[in-house]
Amino acid sequence: MSSEGPDLVCEVDNVQGIVDALTAVRWKRQQDAVVELSEHGVVLIVEESSCLQAKVYLQRELFIKYEYGGAQGRPRFGVSLGLLVNCLNTFSVPAGGRSSSTIEIRYPGPDMQLLLKSVDSLDACIYAEIRTRIPETISWDYNFEPAGTTPLSFTVKSAALKEAIDDLEWPGSSVQIILQPDPPSVTFKGEGHGDLQIDFMYYVNTDLLIAFSCDRQVSYRYKYKFLQATTSNIPSSVIRDNRGSKLTIGRGGMLKVQHLVSVARPSIPHPHVDSAGYQQPSRIAYIEFFVKPEEDESTIND
Amino acid sequence: MELSLSGNAIKTFARCITCLARVGNELAIQASPSQLAFHTLNSSRSAYQSIIFKPDFFDVYTVSGNQVQCSVLLKAICSLLRTPIASIDNLSVKLPYPDASKVQWALECYSGMRKTYWITCNVEPDIQHLSLDRTKFPSNFVVRPRDLNRLLVNFQSSLQEITIIATEQTSLPSDAANEIGGKAVELRSYIDPTKENDSSLHTQLWIDPTEEFLQYTHTGDPVDVTFGVKELKAFLSFCESCEVDIQLYFEKAGEPILMAPKFGLDDGSSSTFDSTLVLASMLISQLREGNPSEPPQAATTTHGQDEHGASQAQHDRCIPNVSEHPSDHTRIWSDLSAKSGSGSGIGTEERQVQGETNLNANQQREMQRISTMQISKAASTRENEPADPNIFHPMEKDHAEEARDGPVSQRHPSNWVDADEDDDDDGDEDEMCVQSTPPYYEEH
Repeated sequence: MSSEGPDLVCEVDNVQGIVDALTAVRWKRQQDAVVELSEHGVVLIVEESSCLQAKVYLQRELFIKYEYGGAQGRPRFGVSLGLLVNCLNTFSVPAGGRSSSTIEIRYPGPDMQLLLKSVDSLDACIYAEIRTRIPETISWDYNFEPAGTTPLSFTVKSAALKEAIDDLEWPGSSVQIILQPDPPSVTFKGEGHGDLQIDFMYYVNTDLLIAFSCDRQVSYRYKYKFLQATTSNIPSSVIRDNRGSKLTIGRGGMLKVQHLVSVARPSIPHPHVDSAGYQQPSRIAYIEFFVKPEEDESTIND
Repeated sequence: MELSLSGNAIKTFARCITCLARVGNELAIQASPSQLAFHTLNSSRSAYQSIIFKPDFFDVYTVSGNQVQCSVLLKAICSLLRTPIASIDNLSVKLPYPDASKVQWALECYSGMRKTYWITCNVEPDIQHLSLDRTKFPSNFVVRPRDLNRLLVNFQSSLQEITIIATEQTSLPSDAANEIGGKAVELRSYIDPTKENDSSLHTQLWIDPTEEFLQYTHTGDPVDVTFGVKELKAFLSFCESCEVDIQLYFEKAGEPILMAPKFGLDDGSSSTFDSTLVLASMLISQLREGNPSEPPQAATTTHGQDEHGASQAQHDRCIPNVSEHPSDHTRIWSDLSAKSGSGSGIGTEERQVQGETNLNANQQREMQRISTMQISKAASTRENEPADPNIFHPMEKDHAEEARDGPVSQRHPSNWVDADEDDDDDGDEDEMCVQSTPPYYEEH
């Protein structure tokens, strides 16, 4: 591979899906994202005030074409997330349109820009360049480690999680998350000018809590606005599909929230979708949020 | 106190809260073994709503002791009812002990989520209890909420106050010269005459109570009551969603009016809940009485005099900006007096300027004596049913006559618009048609 060739040339056939995935991590109007390219795919990282970080994983299998040329290390660049999303939006066609919205993304351009170009469209060509920046080093290491030998995690229906977090706005306080093994349940609690407690019980017959793993009671507090950022912009397709969102509490109370966003467009045949329409896992974008706990909370143990 | 409800009762309960929240800010809760009462009073103390639930309304209802009471903010309860009602399996309310600082509200959702809210009780609750005896009201009517909503559509949606003028229905058909027929009730928009900007829509609607109402009772002299539209609409939508008719009791200007749902043919005793909305009415009558209206000074000092005892409270209307002179500038256009030829009674009077002049009492009387109904441009009305005043039919009437005979005809024929312009729901019979509008009305 020529060191002068682009680091990445890839093609995406469902821009709307990519937009949905990136929108999920837009909790502010102006956010600087760091994009990391590798042979495995594209990762976009945003963070806020060392307390909240989000990552969007777009594996190479999401792309109909993925040519990675960056032999030395992983190229990283900074870009404005809002600008990128708005730009991608101009390429996407409304659902049901017969023309595909295939675009080619290329990096870097002659001046280290991110280049986007519509392909396969008969009548017009849309071309965009986005300036990039040298990314700052991430100030805080969000190295997520498991809390112990048994993971502390639960998977809950995405719509229910969003509803609960939206309800927790009312108390106007930070939110306490309590996991307890017996009875197996998750509790979200806010105590402000009023108190609200939302309990998710892990029963076999309801499918509210799809999975649950906990061997001891733990409790941590998180700032409401950071917790809210993890669900406030979940794409409506995720709410409609209502898969599970997985929450894991790691060492020190670090909270990891994972969502799955479908990037597929069922009407277009795709090499990774089989004839039955079953979405291979690779047609899913992974979203991860990391939320630092409030510092003065100590684990409540039995 | 502990109660729990499920199914349709939750929907009704949510509607009650929604209506209460449109009237006042604080919810006073009074629970006794025989009933649960919710009250609210609005901040200007001109509207009071109470809802009484019988124990049968609930799946579980227990009250310790004689009476338990507390007060919470309605906004907080509205927050907890943001959960879609259809997803709630069970709602329970608990006050662990009589002077607990928080009331616990728990929602169990079909999805398996359980949401428990602790709402702080107001420290110094302003729990007022008002009870008015419905049988003491001489007049009332019953109407289907959607019918009254349909009538209200004719009024500007931002209208704040409305006047209902009720007259006695004639039992005999009127004679040919007086084809007004049975339009015994008038709904009229009330616009504060002291407000500078009067570009709003004025509406007058005459209706036949036998066609529009399910029931109508009024005998004697015409009376009018002017009250707030916001609370009326809140109560209307409450009754409509509960699928009950609304009964409105009134007496006269200045006396409070009372609204209640009318459950079927009985007196509602078989229903598990009941509600009462009491609204203060304006002191000042819109009808031209023998004397010009009661002194408005009483109205301006109402703020201080609302602390009445528990029983019959006279809610004086708060009219902070009333002019020194009576704001009774709006004379009724229509003739509420005797049949034509038999004297004028109220007589046909000019419609005074709204918001442009403040006439003293002498001037008002002056204007009444003006026999030619030449209405100057300044005094033109902005009603949406304009009429040429020059064709007052009973020109022979004595306009200076101030005494009033018994009312028979309720409307002056000159008020009728052409049949094809009339968007009134009542079919027009063979009234006289109004002459075409003089040009200077058209710009209004």
